[in-house]
Amino acid sequence: MKNILTSLAVAGTMALGSVTAVQAEGQGLLDTIIERDSLLCTGHNGSYLGFAEVDGQGEWQGFDIEFCKALATAILGSPDKLQIIPVSWAQRFPSIQSGDIDVIIKVTGWTMTRDTELGLQYSRPYFIGPFYVMSKTELEAEGIADLEGGVFCVNAGTTVERVLTDYMETNGIDYEPLAFEKGEELRAAFYAGRCDAIAGFGPFLSATRVNADNPDDFEILGDVLALEPEGIVVKQGEDDLLDVINWMVSALIMAEENGVTQANVDEMKANPPTASIGRLLGSTPGVGARLGLNDDWAYNVIKTVGNYGEIYDRTVGEGSRYKLPRGLNNLWNNGGLLYPLVLD
Amino acid sequence: MSQIFASQKFRRIAVQGGFILGVVALIASTILVGKSNIADQGMATGFGFLEQTTGWPVNFSIIEVTGRSTYARVLWAGLLNTMLVGFLTLIFATVLGLLLALMRVSSNTLMKLVGASYVEVFRNVPVILQVFFWYAILTHLPSPKQAYTLGEAFYLSNRGIMMPAPALSGSDMAWLLVSVILAVVFLGLTRERLRLGPRWAIATGAVFIVFVVVLLTGREPDSALISTPQLKGLRFVGGITLKPEFTALLVGLTLFGASYIGEIIRGGLLSVDRGKLEAGRALGFSTFQINRLIRIPLAFRAMLPSLTNQYIWLMKGTTVGIAVGYPDYFAIVSTSINQSGQTMELLALLMGGFILINYSIGFLMNMLNDRIKLKGRS
Repeated sequence: MKNILTSLAVAGTMALGSVTAVQAEGQGLLDTIIERDSLLCTGHNGSYLGFAEVDGQGEWQGFDIEFCKALATAILGSPDKLQIIPVSWAQRFPSIQSGDIDVIIKVTGWTMTRDTELGLQYSRPYFIGPFYVMSKTELEAEGIADLEGGVFCVNAGTTVERVLTDYMETNGIDYEPLAFEKGEELRAAFYAGRCDAIAGFGPFLSATRVNADNPDDFEILGDVLALEPEGIVVKQGEDDLLDVINWMVSALIMAEENGVTQANVDEMKANPPTASIGRLLGSTPGVGARLGLNDDWAYNVIKTVGNYGEIYDRTVGEGSRYKLPRGLNNLWNNGGLLYPLVLD
Repeated sequence: MSQIFASQKFRRIAVQGGFILGVVALIASTILVGKSNIADQGMATGFGFLEQTTGWPVNFSIIEVTGRSTYARVLWAGLLNTMLVGFLTLIFATVLGLLLALMRVSSNTLMKLVGASYVEVFRNVPVILQVFFWYAILTHLPSPKQAYTLGEAFYLSNRGIMMPAPALSGSDMAWLLVSVILAVVFLGLTRERLRLGPRWAIATGAVFIVFVVVLLTGREPDSALISTPQLKGLRFVGGITLKPEFTALLVGLTLFGASYIGEIIRGGLLSVDRGKLEAGRALGFSTFQINRLIRIPLAFRAMLPSLTNQYIWLMKGTTVGIAVGYPDYFAIVSTSINQSGQTMELLALLMGGFILINYSIGFLMNMLNDRIKLKGRS
């Protein structure tokens, strides 16, 4: 399958060769996007709940989609200048190589194979993909240690099985493991109460929770078993575009750190409390030209989608139906791993 | 030359020898091609991984298994799990099947009806659905805190059936097992010399004495002789727990298998020629004697080959355990393939394990068949 996809991608690239060659002459993908006046970003074939899903009105929604909108706004000034291309997990790499999409924003783990052998380049992580434990609310557990002696269910033959074993051994917690071959059987056993908790990738757990008859019966605990850093992916060599992406992610985090929100961004821009906020929002010039953009790109982004915390809460966090804990996707001064780059 | 070919004996040997050579060559070339293909893909081959630790736990096993156990040990635990559930299924299904057969051949209409309905229901529903059904019922029982209880000793919850058990350690169990085996050997050896009653009395008495001795010796002072299940936090400790996965698989397979075995036994009973039974009556045999000396031996002889097939089928049927999370041999092999990537080696071990178990069953049943079949006929 992988071979077929790769050869399809190669064939696609060759067919598009003539077009790409013209565009590529002294011109990076960033310029191509500006010329086209439209950003091609990843969606999903179906719904990846919380990250890329189609709502009742047929509109794309989710954490990853918000980042697509933010990027379109940063480069082109408007979230409407965005085309979401639905691709599957396997298709995303051939698609970016053939130019069907400009960027991959699709909870894509930063692995060495992808970074090197697949000819891709990663932005700084915009999401820390955590492995969590979800338990029943009635057990009133605050952490995994409170579930001592309980039954923990996992998918058989996955990384989670090892991750859980290591965590429990390291922390000296006694438990009873139970593994299921299929996700459906795992969920059914958990809903029925055969397990006190299930361990898994955060988004999988929140979808399991939301699909239950009564989601409030279940809660995801804050303890992280292990994590996978997710980055935004571009083709190797698209340095200008990657710069924009890195600084866009940084701007969203910096806005949250400094209390700049969608609601107060106009006021902040007119009357910046610190010099660096003034630079960020373009009250004083400099933030745009160095990236080849307008000075108010960060202001536009925050005006359109809000800061990092607002995006998180709205799509996957407390303000959404998934209630995925902020956990490590919080600011460094709030117990998380997020920090802005230095804007001088 | 042509004379050699004309010889029937030579032709027969040549054809058979050529066939065997062909098969061996086919198998050898398959293995060689497979090996070189795997090597081309840069994958590791061989059974070296059996010495590595797995890093993942197993829910249920007779021997102790943790994430630090080697693949060899975990696979052995899986094989034991398969044999445990398989042999218990064979015993229970045979007993239940015998009852069903007797109901169906009896002259009582109600018994006949019950037997027939049972067979039609349990024979016609796929075994995996039956196992799912029992598993769903068992996992929808109340949680440990609200468990049904019988005298604070037996508990029924969605964590399984908990019951009291004598507080025996692993070595105690081993001694007990040895004494049971010795008792069986004793029963076999004294068959010619002693009457049935005293033989059984001596054998069971001896096993019971060993049981009492191991229970009383080598224990911490003031600990209870009988361990009863007690709720502690999220689970029960002490006693014996029959987990839902194990129970669902055992019940599902037993009820399914009993419907087939019942029909096989019924067929055997009905195959006995009416004339032979009437001859027994004419000679003045009682009904018990007719059953014991004429009907059952003849029926047993008739049903043994189909029973062997059914036993082997049921043993293979334990592989549905994977659907309800019971770590049988197939489930363990499947997880090992995912975790270690040694697909070919593990599939070979999987097939080898089942061939070993099922060939042993077939071998024992054939030995039995040889002993009871009509002498002088083949």
